[in-house]
Amino acid sequence: MASPDLRDACRMGEALAGELVIDCHTHLGPWHNFHIPGPTAQDMVRTMDRLGVALSICSPHLAIGPDYRLGNREVMAAAEAFPGRITPYVTINPHYPAAEVGEEIGYWQAQGHLRAFKIHPSVHGYRADGPGYAPMFEFADARGLPVLSHSWAGDGHCGPAILGTLAERYPRVTVIVAHAASGWPMIEEACTQAEAHANVFLDLTGSQLFCRALETMVERIGAERILFGTDLPFVDPRPGLGRVLMARIGDEDKRRILGLNAQALFGADMARAHAPGGPARGR
Amino acid sequence: MPALQYFDCHARIGRWTAPRPEHILTAEGLVAEMDRYDIAEALVHHASAWEWAPAPGNETLLREIASYPRLHPCFVALPPATREMPSPREMVAQLREAGGGAVRLFPQFHQYRLADWCCRELLEVLEAERVPVLLDVTQADWGVLPEVLTAHPALPVVLLDVGYRSDRYLYPLWERHQNLHVEIGSYVMHGGVEAVCARFGPERLLFGTGLPLMDPAGPTALLAYADAPVAATQLIAGANLRRLLAGEAQDG
Repeated sequence: MASPDLRDACRMGEALAGELVIDCHTHLGPWHNFHIPGPTAQDMVRTMDRLGVALSICSPHLAIGPDYRLGNREVMAAAEAFPGRITPYVTINPHYPAAEVGEEIGYWQAQGHLRAFKIHPSVHGYRADGPGYAPMFEFADARGLPVLSHSWAGDGHCGPAILGTLAERYPRVTVIVAHAASGWPMIEEACTQAEAHANVFLDLTGSQLFCRALETMVERIGAERILFGTDLPFVDPRPGLGRVLMARIGDEDKRRILGLNAQALFGADMARAHAPGGPARGR
Repeated sequence: MPALQYFDCHARIGRWTAPRPEHILTAEGLVAEMDRYDIAEALVHHASAWEWAPAPGNETLLREIASYPRLHPCFVALPPATREMPSPREMVAQLREAGGGAVRLFPQFHQYRLADWCCRELLEVLEAERVPVLLDVTQADWGVLPEVLTAHPALPVVLLDVGYRSDRYLYPLWERHQNLHVEIGSYVMHGGVEAVCARFGPERLLFGTGLPLMDPAGPTALLAYADAPVAATQLIAGANLRRLLAGEAQDG
């Protein structure tokens, strides 16, 4: 089905107005092995304004890297500096003592900022189903919180099949498989897990998308469990947004992917998130 | 109408060894896909010139794009020592007869080296004729690029598929070499295009898609939504490539 309005907005480079766009996969700050020209929260929000992205759900590079506790505080500072535009994942590191990780989770719960967790088993060099992550998954399962995990086809720490076993083990956790469109083997593996587990969602984050990849994913699992994500500022969000807007799928599916699915998944207060160009479509 | 009319520097036609049902294999199909994304023209090579044999593959390319004036030939070349192809001068003459174009090199895949001991004659002819050379980063290690750019300062070099982790290689090269250009299809770290425009000028970047494998929506949106003057994005979208194909010198 043609999508003339959203598609034309992209062709013309117009910020989306009146659409709810939530980026479910962002970071913040510099990273060790490449140059990021626009790494700050201010840089991120400027680009979000340019595109009409209402909200970034964020795990700083520092949090997935050497210091998860400091990284968690970094994103909270960004959320306070840009209220309603950046909101945190709580990131944990399985290499640190369970007592410390538990204390960190408790701290963010007490602060009222525990919306979802982020893990990066590939950077951590630690299997997603290992014991170091288990207390976090148990906590999330008890409260029905989403967990976004890095994933890649064939990754022995966090490939889609490993995340599928976690979805089965923790049925109240929505396991978000990151980078689900990052190549045909990954699309196949991620869709297979989403077909097998209703609590598996797929995140589109990736530096490039293959021709007809999103269309294939929607055909396989529907649009209701696909989330817009970009890796901002690791990766520029413009291409990722363009791939959704220009896809050969219906506008209503695009709206689900761009924001409505995330709004439903992450909480009702997401309804307060407004695109810079106008009020969000709450439905 | 969109403000930008794109000229894709990175596209391919032809049957290849591992297509998926989604892949476009024909000139007709490529042009239809280009229409969907407002891509006015494209520089294309042929899969058989890449995966089989450059000389007959280039002939096939010319036949298959002959009735598509929006498609411009990008010959796949080899160093001349083994005489598997027409000489570099004959190859360039053939390109000129076809209306002009560029040359694509695959040193790694085709088992040769880009260094002067292997490619000097080829690169000298291409430099003298101002024929742009397109090169995947994966096909030549970063160490040889400064040698090539220094030895052939008038040779327009376009790097493809640089990814988003390449600035620490690219910036020192851009500081020294006016003849280095980068395709934006995978050059996607946040603010990367804007940073290059501000530091080195928009003349250094070219629009490219990677069709038929990659989704053209990525690079088109990267430019349509760029935080750069329209004049700069117009250069990147197509004017830079047109200038290079016309054999005009680098300004930046």
